[in-house]
Amino acid sequence: MLWIKNAYVIDPAQRLSGINDVLVKDGVIVKSAGSLQPADVLEALEAQRLDDVLQVEGEGKYLFPGLIDVHVHLREPGQEEKEDIRSGSRAAIKGGFTSILAMANTTPIVDNRALTEFVRLQGERAAMAKVYPIAAVTKGFLGKELVEMMDILDGGAVAFSDDGKGIQNAEMMRLALEYAKLAGCPIISHCEDDSLAGHGVMRKGEMSARLGLRGIPASAESVMVARDVLLTAETGGKLHIAHVSTKESVQIIREAKKMGVDVTAEVNPHHLIFTDQDVILTDASYKVNPPLPSAEDQIALLEGLLDGTIDMLATDHAPHTWEEKTRPFAEAPFGINALETVLAAVWQNLVLKGKITPDQVIALWSLNPARRFGLPGGTLRPGSQADLVLFDPEYREMISAETMETKSQNTPFLGQEMQGFPVMTIVGGKIRMAGRKLLDNKEEA
Amino acid sequence: MNWKHKDLLDLDKLTAEEIKHILKTAAPMKEILARPNKKLPTLRGKSVVMLFYENSTRTRTSFETAAKILGADTSNIAVAQSSVSKGETLLDTAKTLQAMKVDLVVIRHGSSGAAEFLADELSAGVINGGDGQHAHPTQALLDFFTMQERLGELQGKKIVIVGDVLHSRVVRSNVLGLKKLGAEIVLVGPPTLLPSEMNYLGVKTSYDLDKELPGADAVMALRLQLERQQSGLFPSIREYSRLYGLSQERLRQTGKDTIIMHPGPMNRGVEITSDLADSVQSVIEEQVTNGVAIRMALIYLLIGGTGSVVD
Repeated sequence: MLWIKNAYVIDPAQRLSGINDVLVKDGVIVKSAGSLQPADVLEALEAQRLDDVLQVEGEGKYLFPGLIDVHVHLREPGQEEKEDIRSGSRAAIKGGFTSILAMANTTPIVDNRALTEFVRLQGERAAMAKVYPIAAVTKGFLGKELVEMMDILDGGAVAFSDDGKGIQNAEMMRLALEYAKLAGCPIISHCEDDSLAGHGVMRKGEMSARLGLRGIPASAESVMVARDVLLTAETGGKLHIAHVSTKESVQIIREAKKMGVDVTAEVNPHHLIFTDQDVILTDASYKVNPPLPSAEDQIALLEGLLDGTIDMLATDHAPHTWEEKTRPFAEAPFGINALETVLAAVWQNLVLKGKITPDQVIALWSLNPARRFGLPGGTLRPGSQADLVLFDPEYREMISAETMETKSQNTPFLGQEMQGFPVMTIVGGKIRMAGRKLLDNKEEA
Repeated sequence: MNWKHKDLLDLDKLTAEEIKHILKTAAPMKEILARPNKKLPTLRGKSVVMLFYENSTRTRTSFETAAKILGADTSNIAVAQSSVSKGETLLDTAKTLQAMKVDLVVIRHGSSGAAEFLADELSAGVINGGDGQHAHPTQALLDFFTMQERLGELQGKKIVIVGDVLHSRVVRSNVLGLKKLGAEIVLVGPPTLLPSEMNYLGVKTSYDLDKELPGADAVMALRLQLERQQSGLFPSIREYSRLYGLSQERLRQTGKDTIIMHPGPMNRGVEITSDLADSVQSVIEEQVTNGVAIRMALIYLLIGGTGSVVD
């Protein structure tokens, strides 16, 4: 049993935003209300003695539902040297994520029920953040045959995506949207037209010209966003657009929503924080796909996030080995590792600069993902799962390979001191991290 | 002037004075090249490594000749025969070179930034012999040297550069340097090879060669990778040549004794007609000679001592 006191509680689902106490028992939220007295607590928890209740002082800290990240690469099976499900789900807890959705582009690709169950079970064995598998849309990501969606759904998948690769064949995408109506869950689209993206390594523009790096035009993304929105409208399917990064994409999604198309979208914090102007020729940490946007795109992305066009934040956590990223820019793989640094990055660069409120961050990163993908969590409403994060906006930490749980180091924040970190993460009522230390003993609340 | 740079990666970090100092240093080097006995003891005991990830016999031989004339020992790491082709990373190669205590590395690499990457790792000097589409500073410097020999001070001179601007590292370094030296530059090419993002260079761009030729003091043709036609960047060699190829007749429009330049190797009949390439206006062979002189100057400045090199 748990009594978290005097924290600034944010729960957009209940429109809760203020100093409150929260009570947890048997893995669920029992009560969230204004300052409670010991007698109220004992009554609400049906406890005899206050000694049976773990009391956590939350003064000066925020308490919110655990963050849900719908876009994470865990690399297991197959590329465990980059990350495995255990290290990735530990990194998630350290970063304030109680649920993560694992993309299917592993080796082999998660395109059948057995592998889907493997990912889910590895997540359960790690006993850190909840790991939900996303399965492939097409067998082997080849874009030719649909996976057995219904069987895979029984294996625990919550969505389908060939993320890492756009589905180039429009008819295949149309069929996927049509068939996924059986499953009732969204197809997540990695919108990238290969013929336009070519062998580009950063956003095409003056900066790519200056650095002599091959550019990826913005149209490589937005052309496919337009296509997929039209196909969704035609089929009546559910579409979720991953990592939106161009102003044209935002505009298309805005229009689609007005037309009543069932489309949602996510944006990665790194696209809101960095632009192509930040790319350093000798630092492949800035090499991501989709590439860092232009300043104009970035403004449109933030606008889209604030006006509801873009529904959620997602990390696109993409760990790579140090050796792979220590290569000339054009030769290194795409991707930033994000789970452990991203909340601090958003806090420093967006919240503290007044671009977005803490309440909006929680809606975008917990409530909305839970609703779209039908996941438990996302709220502190009594009766719901006790997935919680206690966040200290003043806590400072130096980002280094030694302090990170992820196996990778590919973050532009390496070696920097950042501010604003979770100091306690609770999953299903169990404290998984306290005082920035992970707890493996599965302590009961 | 005391030379203070460890490396030569591009011309953006050099001042106009430093560029002029390199050109000034190259003049006596060229005189040495003309001597019957071309060997100096200046850099005896120094080691220069040629690390060429891309084939370029011309550039490599030019650097090697330059280093040898100055008395340095040179060695070659040709990628096809080295551990690099067995999967060794650039970082490991850098560590190996560091362990061998070499004094200077000349690198040619297909990836932009590779030279800077190497320079960050090595205490030895690094000369960028061309990296991706990014920079080719020694080519630019030899171009300046050649122009200056023929045209005098470059301040106010009109230089037209025509061809595949998008993919050319030669253009990027040339523009950076020529702007510092006060020249007027016009870049010309078809829109697919001269897209709007090249405006970052801050010089005039144009699709119409004939319109830009009047008044040009120098016209530089860029090498056209013929396979770009297959990628759809231009419809045919024939049309390219008609619109952007240099010929005697076309050059008359400048109204001057314009010099003709080309970084080589040329596609004769495509970027330039044979008779123009071999004409008195052409300084293409002179560029090659000056390449050795410029590289001697740079090697000397980066690992040489102070004092006069000629005595």
